[in-house]
Amino acid sequence: MELTSRNTVRLLLLPGLAVLLFAFLYPVAATLAAPPDGDPATVARETGALLTDPNLLPVIARTIRVSVLTTLICLVLGFPTAYLISRAPARWSGKLLALAIFPLMLNTVVRTYGWIVVLGGNGVLSTASQALGLGPVQLLYTETAIVLGLVQLFLPLMILSSYSSLSQQDPRLEDAARGLGAGPSRVFRQVVFPLALPGALVGCTLVFAGAVTAFTTPQLLGGSRERILSTLLYSRVNVSLDWPAASAVALVMTVLVLVVAALSGRLSKRGSTTS
Amino acid sequence: MILRRPLLSLLSAIAFVIMLGPVVILLGVAFTAGSTLTFPPEGLSLRWFAAALEYRPFIDSLGTSLVVAVLSTAAALALGIPATLALQRGAVPGKAFIENLFMTPIIVPELVLGLALFQQLMVGFNITALGTLVIGHTVLLLPYTVRVVGASLALADPRLEEAARGLGAGPVRTFFSVTVPVMRPGIISATILAFITSLNNVPLSLLLTGPGVATLPVEMLNYVQSSFDPVVAAVSVVLLALSVAVALLTERLVGFNKVFGR
Repeated sequence: MELTSRNTVRLLLLPGLAVLLFAFLYPVAATLAAPPDGDPATVARETGALLTDPNLLPVIARTIRVSVLTTLICLVLGFPTAYLISRAPARWSGKLLALAIFPLMLNTVVRTYGWIVVLGGNGVLSTASQALGLGPVQLLYTETAIVLGLVQLFLPLMILSSYSSLSQQDPRLEDAARGLGAGPSRVFRQVVFPLALPGALVGCTLVFAGAVTAFTTPQLLGGSRERILSTLLYSRVNVSLDWPAASAVALVMTVLVLVVAALSGRLSKRGSTTS
Repeated sequence: MILRRPLLSLLSAIAFVIMLGPVVILLGVAFTAGSTLTFPPEGLSLRWFAAALEYRPFIDSLGTSLVVAVLSTAAALALGIPATLALQRGAVPGKAFIENLFMTPIIVPELVLGLALFQQLMVGFNITALGTLVIGHTVLLLPYTVRVVGASLALADPRLEEAARGLGAGPVRTFFSVTVPVMRPGIISATILAFITSLNNVPLSLLLTGPGVATLPVEMLNYVQSSFDPVVAAVSVVLLALSVAVALLTERLVGFNKVFGR
């Protein structure tokens, strides 16, 4: 069906665009530029204060550190998982993939809550370490806890993105490399990984952007002791009721995500032209 | 495979333990007879399931969550399907730009969108919390419906429709007997994906609460932050069971990996 009439096309697109404008573009722009009790100058001043406040800089640094670590760990654990799934016999690979994706159906509270039982003062980990004579460990409300929780949350995304690249690879390439005398680890490093890089890169972007903006997991596992930008934003809105300051945090967070998305867009474009 | 690739198998085993371990532990905690969050459980009982059923905010918020999920999924389909039809089958000036525009709600942090809707729609225009929730979730789901239905349209050859017209079918008949069947798997996938996404959302719904209005995940988060008993573990197990049921249904309808693997 070729939609030839311009009016039909307009009629089909208009409702969606109108809702985007009214319920997305306008409110986000208004809130980032000038919240109800402020103006662009106030937000600019607050953003300047945020970026120079010695108490808040660590929050930005922690957000980036936690997100980078989460991305790296997801890559190291997720890519091999995707590789094994893509090379497993057909009746296994579908089931394993479904098992890896299944957590995406559960809400974040359900997925994160278990860590409280594992990492808490009387938790599984602490009990085990005491039984071994190592004394109690309290990992809850630390950066490590946040990273663990985020890795759990975003591993499925890394596995999926890597899998989509890996499953399109011709397995005969590996056979050829092996036939030419390369060992299994060399085949993995020099053939499999470079060819699947676009998928892994998409995975890294998704994980990083998700980690920067995640709220529930850092709120539950980091609490008020280990704030990152998203939990800081929430406390600015809900506890201190400081809207211009909240807008400043929102602005920094949004810019951070947009920069990463743009960077990765350029990287993958360059990758596709050179290879 | 495991013997040939010991390092990769180990990394992959760690990945599965991290992904699923905490959820499995939650299963154990939910059936405890004790009153603390400990694993292994201290004796078995169903008392925390009974406690969850008696806690009004959970029941009320489940109702809110379902209403929001149904309305926003329907709205996102009603807005997204026509838009994606126009983009895939019509001559749209600035097509790439408009396509990207429909994807932007995914990029902006949900917490920021929630704050914006709270300030501009709830406070600014006096829209109720429930109304703002439905509007916000619709915007959040729109990229999914546009992309998923669009993917099934892009896969189908437009010449199918031309052939139907050439054989004498009118535009309405062509639409209902060729285009709609082509879109059907995409529409089913988009519906399931959108419904689950809405039902699970926390960051967007977090600030959009009013007297007696909050979604279930937000009530669960609030409860977990103020008390340390296993009630939420019991609720989680119920949600887990429902998710397994939906996953099996999805597998029968369109294929689980096809829907959630995009």
